[in-house]
Amino acid sequence: MKNFKPLNISSVVLTLLISVPAIIILSHIFLGSSENWEHLKQTVLGDYIFNSLYIMVGVAFLTSIIGFSTAYVTTVFSFSFSNFFHYALILPFAIPTYIVAYIYGGMFDITGTVTTFILNLFDKRLDEVIFFDIMSIEGAIIVMSLVLYPYVYLISKTYLRAESASIIDASKTLGLSQWQIFYKVIIPISRPAIVAGVILAVMEAVSDFGVMDYYGVATFVTGIFRTWFGMGSIEDAARLASLLMLFIFVLIFLEKLQRINKQYKSSGKDFKPISKIKLKGGNNILAFLLCFIPFFLGFLLPFTQMSYWFMLSYHEVIDDSFIQILIQTLIIATFSAFLITALAFIFVYNVRLSKNKTSDILTQIVKLGYSIPGAVVAVGILSFFALIDRYIFNILTLNILISGTIIALIFGYSVRFLAISINNYESGFSKIPSSYDDACKTMNITPITTLRHVILPLIKNSVLASFIIVFIEVIKELPLTLVLRPFNYDTLAILSHEYVNQSQIVQSSVPAMFIVGLGIVSVLILARNMIKD
Amino acid sequence: MKLGLINITIIIIKKGSTMFKKLTLSALLLAGSLFANSEVNVYSHRHYDTDKELFKMFEDKTGIKVNVVKADASALIKRMQSEGQNSPADVLITVDAGGLFQAKNQGLLQSIDSEYLIANIPEKLRDKDNQWFALTKRARVVLHTLDSTVPNELKTYEDLADPKFKGKIMIRSSNNIYNQSLLAAVIAHHGEEYALQWAKGVVANMAKEPKGNDRYQVTAIANGIGEIAIANTYYVGQMVDNKDVAQAEAVKKVKILFPKFEKGGTHINVSGTGVAKYSPNKDNAIKFIEFLASPDAQKLFAQANFEYPVLQNIEASDVVKSWGTFEDDTISMNVLGENNKLAVKIFDQANWK
Repeated sequence: MKNFKPLNISSVVLTLLISVPAIIILSHIFLGSSENWEHLKQTVLGDYIFNSLYIMVGVAFLTSIIGFSTAYVTTVFSFSFSNFFHYALILPFAIPTYIVAYIYGGMFDITGTVTTFILNLFDKRLDEVIFFDIMSIEGAIIVMSLVLYPYVYLISKTYLRAESASIIDASKTLGLSQWQIFYKVIIPISRPAIVAGVILAVMEAVSDFGVMDYYGVATFVTGIFRTWFGMGSIEDAARLASLLMLFIFVLIFLEKLQRINKQYKSSGKDFKPISKIKLKGGNNILAFLLCFIPFFLGFLLPFTQMSYWFMLSYHEVIDDSFIQILIQTLIIATFSAFLITALAFIFVYNVRLSKNKTSDILTQIVKLGYSIPGAVVAVGILSFFALIDRYIFNILTLNILISGTIIALIFGYSVRFLAISINNYESGFSKIPSSYDDACKTMNITPITTLRHVILPLIKNSVLASFIIVFIEVIKELPLTLVLRPFNYDTLAILSHEYVNQSQIVQSSVPAMFIVGLGIVSVLILARNMIKD
Repeated sequence: MKLGLINITIIIIKKGSTMFKKLTLSALLLAGSLFANSEVNVYSHRHYDTDKELFKMFEDKTGIKVNVVKADASALIKRMQSEGQNSPADVLITVDAGGLFQAKNQGLLQSIDSEYLIANIPEKLRDKDNQWFALTKRARVVLHTLDSTVPNELKTYEDLADPKFKGKIMIRSSNNIYNQSLLAAVIAHHGEEYALQWAKGVVANMAKEPKGNDRYQVTAIANGIGEIAIANTYYVGQMVDNKDVAQAEAVKKVKILFPKFEKGGTHINVSGTGVAKYSPNKDNAIKFIEFLASPDAQKLFAQANFEYPVLQNIEASDVVKSWGTFEDDTISMNVLGENNKLAVKIFDQANWK
């Protein structure tokens, strides 16, 4: 019973299954026409690489600063509205990025309402003032970061709540000041959590199409679609996608490599709740502003605009078929979130038990799915199904088609969102010292019993966080759902997208509001449980 | 408002249970076995409310149920391709000629023999092998502000590259299919070398780096950013009386101008359709397409989505008619698809973002 075999085997099988679409895409790095590729290299490839890197660095920088500082402040201190921010800071995550991008364009762009208002106020023309154009690559970085920082916030927060009390106490006995503790102790030990969050944010930003296309930023992903749709070359598009995946792969491994000599595994001793320090005066105001600004920009502002639009049009949008779409969305999101949370557990627990390199690498490959744009994942999956149809079902003379079924859709979500779940678990597991497992082993307790009575109670927060984040992600998911769904099957995100396409941005806010509403409810459940323990 | 929300909650709970049963059922049954004979399965890139009404009309009239999946044409084509002979798709609908060209090129469509379609849809608006047929037309036009001098100076698409319009043109990114089709038309009229110079000229004349959608360009010139916006006609129609005040106000301040090619007419693109190669319900598919080209359906296309009908004797909507008239460009829709790839490459060379 050295390695828990069934777990190991199922993990390998699942990894292969999940990574097939990614591998199919990766295989294109050697395919495609050389003529098209030469053209891309000579003209736009440099831009794609530069812009994608710029976005990765920018989003990593902003989300880590916003996400971690707010997580730290709300964990360690109590200040005006700190309990409110504890919940509220997760909310931007519930708003689909393309909606925020559109609303920000409408407000702060050259013709935006806020811009025009301010210009009129000072009686100036646009060319007379220094103007920051939100519809630019920097604007895209800011907008993405405002919506994606909750990844860092959430993962860091879970980590800090478990760790910081004992560390802060220890640091204080060493005579360190509050700042020194933050700077010299808290940041270094929180690195795995910050990185886990940042990698998710970066992967999501770099695989985005809607925001980048609207803001006129040429990235790998806009290039992928241009090459696929415009040049009719899916091979070269996949080749671009595989290059993007290599980028992410290198990123993940560089991070691992750097961490290899530093074991940040928790001692697990002195697990105790934090006694929060009460802030007063200037510090109180500073802490308040630090939390209020991201909450305001990432949530309150776009939410207010959406609410206004919602009130204008909900009566004409909500009907029987809308309710049907709502229910469909709920069912598929709940089911997918359950499945993905369970699958991710298998991967991560296997790595922990088997302690071998191969399982770890397999898990990292599975994670790549999140960095591939949804529509490209869909292409990988379609090709995969085509292979199954041709070589398995045809031989068995079965006239079955998986393509265009709910199964295809859920498979797609799994490929794409397992990374989120895995990253949640990894930071959760890193808090549980491996001595616990060893202790159980020496006492001859079976892995299943260990799991039930030791591990699960300790990581139940990660399970919940994973479930909820995947749930929201599935509700928001658009490109993959568009391509893989069955006939007559719409989701809230698709409905919202269709309204936007018909210039009905006001009406599009109604399904979007339901997405946000579901997000808020989920986030409240999540935050409550984080407070309780 | 309160009552509304309560009602909604009640309906959700009621519907939830039945829906769940239905869904588990459809999850268990695989697509292939689902389709009975009185159905037509549509893969569509069109995403307008009018289409729902049209499909309902067809169902009421024929008793044939319309099943729809909507996504980008290229994605649907990929799906048809990987589904191969088992594909349930009967009909493919796209919003541009390029998509139809791609589908035909990959052998995913079949020639159909329909006297009605051949007699009523003009030759340059259908495939030479009758594998696809246009359903609606949309023109790519110039917009300017009401008091602008642009109408005196700009007559042709070729003019857009004239240095006298430096810093005046608002046009979206070349990722967009409608820009790609426009350049494909320039290539067809003047050849590759000219097209590159033209694209470079337009880039030099841009008021802003290309971004946003067609409506964004119109809003920009209405607010004094640039003087010339390029947009498709139906986008302009959608802005009229829009609930988004910014759009509704902007469109009041602009006017449409129909440019021509020096040796042709105004650039149009089409939304069109064809029957899938492995269509399991081919007869229904043909009926469906004939219905979409019927006067009733064409009227609805014209009234509700500000598009131009392909049937000669059907009138456009009042809003659309108020923009004035134009003559279609002479080149065939087939050519737009053929030149699309080249157009994208020329955009890259001209550094048109």
